[in-house]
Amino acid sequence: MADFAKRALLPAGLRDILPPGAAFEAHVIETLTAFFAANGYERVKPPLIEFEEGLLSGSGAAMSGQTFRVMDPLSHRMMGVRADMTLQVARIATTRLVNTPRPLRLAYAGQVLRVKGAQLRPARQFAQAGIELIGASTPTADAEVVLLAAEALIALGIGGVSVDLNVPTLVRAIFDEMEVDTAQRGILRDALNRKDAATVAAAGGRVGALLTGLLAAGGTCAPAMAALGKLDLPPAAALARDTLAEVIERVRTGAPDLTLTVDPVEHRGFEYHAGVGFAIFARGAAGELGRGGRYLAGEGLGVPATGATLFVDALIEILSPPSPTLRILLPVGTARSVARDLQCQQWVTVGALEPVADLVAEARRMGCSHAYLDNRPVAVDVNS
Amino acid sequence: MANDKLVIALPKGRILEEAMPLVRAAGIEPEAAFDDPNARQLRFCTNFPGVDIIRVRSFDVATFVAFGAAHLGIAGNDVLMEFDYPELYAPLDLRIGACRLAVAESVDLGADDDPARWSHIRVATKYPEITRRHFARRGVQAECIKLNGAMELAPALGLCRRIVDLVSSGKTLVANGLVEVEHIADITSRLVVNRPALKTRPEELGAWIERFREVANAR
Repeated sequence: MADFAKRALLPAGLRDILPPGAAFEAHVIETLTAFFAANGYERVKPPLIEFEEGLLSGSGAAMSGQTFRVMDPLSHRMMGVRADMTLQVARIATTRLVNTPRPLRLAYAGQVLRVKGAQLRPARQFAQAGIELIGASTPTADAEVVLLAAEALIALGIGGVSVDLNVPTLVRAIFDEMEVDTAQRGILRDALNRKDAATVAAAGGRVGALLTGLLAAGGTCAPAMAALGKLDLPPAAALARDTLAEVIERVRTGAPDLTLTVDPVEHRGFEYHAGVGFAIFARGAAGELGRGGRYLAGEGLGVPATGATLFVDALIEILSPPSPTLRILLPVGTARSVARDLQCQQWVTVGALEPVADLVAEARRMGCSHAYLDNRPVAVDVNS
Repeated sequence: MANDKLVIALPKGRILEEAMPLVRAAGIEPEAAFDDPNARQLRFCTNFPGVDIIRVRSFDVATFVAFGAAHLGIAGNDVLMEFDYPELYAPLDLRIGACRLAVAESVDLGADDDPARWSHIRVATKYPEITRRHFARRGVQAECIKLNGAMELAPALGLCRRIVDLVSSGKTLVANGLVEVEHIADITSRLVVNRPALKTRPEELGAWIERFREVANAR
């Protein structure tokens, strides 16, 4: 027995999801995709696994270390199991759907597999649901994606949603325009990632004061943007800041009650982003619930695109579990029409397979809330 | 919401003595049991109804804050470097608990040892990650033996020839016949903040960080 139980253990970070968890996950994914569909985003379904060159080219390089690889016995080429779906959708948009009129709105949902789980969420396989808006580079497009991602969470019933906006091109532009060398960039990046103002000031040299100013500006939206406005930024960095301000203004108008924060130095996980990015949090949630932002889709110069990915496992953790359904045990031989009628009234019907003496006791044993006795539902007292 | 109270994690031991004046200067006064050495309590109320203090081991401060079980904390950057939690921000150097992380070896070995020629070494340490990273940067293979304390005993008893440990005055090293041969990092304690908490409660946490900043700068 012990041996058998041990054999049922799964590799680290993988798990069986049991009832009612699996149904709940499906429900969450359905709610999200229905919300995206209602907003004009059409569903696509890329494969689980594809050739490595396609999956990991361009912006996909960021996922290289997180991707499982196998060799395709047919073509003898390396394939990768998707660790993220954004780039697959971007590939679809820039190849198969290249002639579809822009802007193109696509939605997706599916499982991804990663080599290593995160510290906060050790799962290596989890569900993602998201949207991509391809072929539009305006702040209105950025704002649409931010708003839809936040509203999708609110539609699920998540309270206290807050969006942290960033623009990774800002620090990049400062580094470029003020000619900071690679070694110093590395040190400063590390310090900025930790919000370690002391190290930034000490190691910053001529960009130290500016970066310290950016660090200090982070926080609640309005004061943060005011503080950023006062900084004397080099031209390209100022442009990034102004774009951020335009996006924020549109998000504000669209959702006046949404909590917005600004993080001008956020970089981790946004290495390949080409404009405004964001991460979504909610009070009481241990980590990010989703993230997204502007990137370049496809090969070469790329097509302007923006998108959002929601982490379904993180959402499920903070959602209250679904209320138990009304579940009724029907005696063996009950007419199918009875079952259909009950199902129309939101009952879940379970058919007994053989006659039993005490149908109520059998219903209790089978985890049903009711038994169908004398042509009507009889409640089962679960505690007795 | 269950976690609506703000929880501050403080490290037991050495740093606590230096941290408490800062905490008190920031206006936070824990209940009496906090200073009672016989109390078994681990979580304490404060004069702020919305703020609690927990007292845990210094390595665990980082873990509690990184996972959002506590929102603010005080931890040495030795602990932060060892774990490198992405969900942890260290916005403020409190300039307390100053010491350094260093490689030490026995005095006899130190006499004719040239650290620049090491290729493979075995080290006893509480900080296997920092040690590995430090030596990897220099192209040295480091085999780490994880100990939780009394590292200074290891060379004399033949466990290994070198250790990586915190050094403040250097007296413990001298007393155990050891000499410091390489400096890894300067250590001070930092105010740490949980990232999601800072993003979802920006005003509240921002105000506390500001308060600690004023207190730390006033010293």
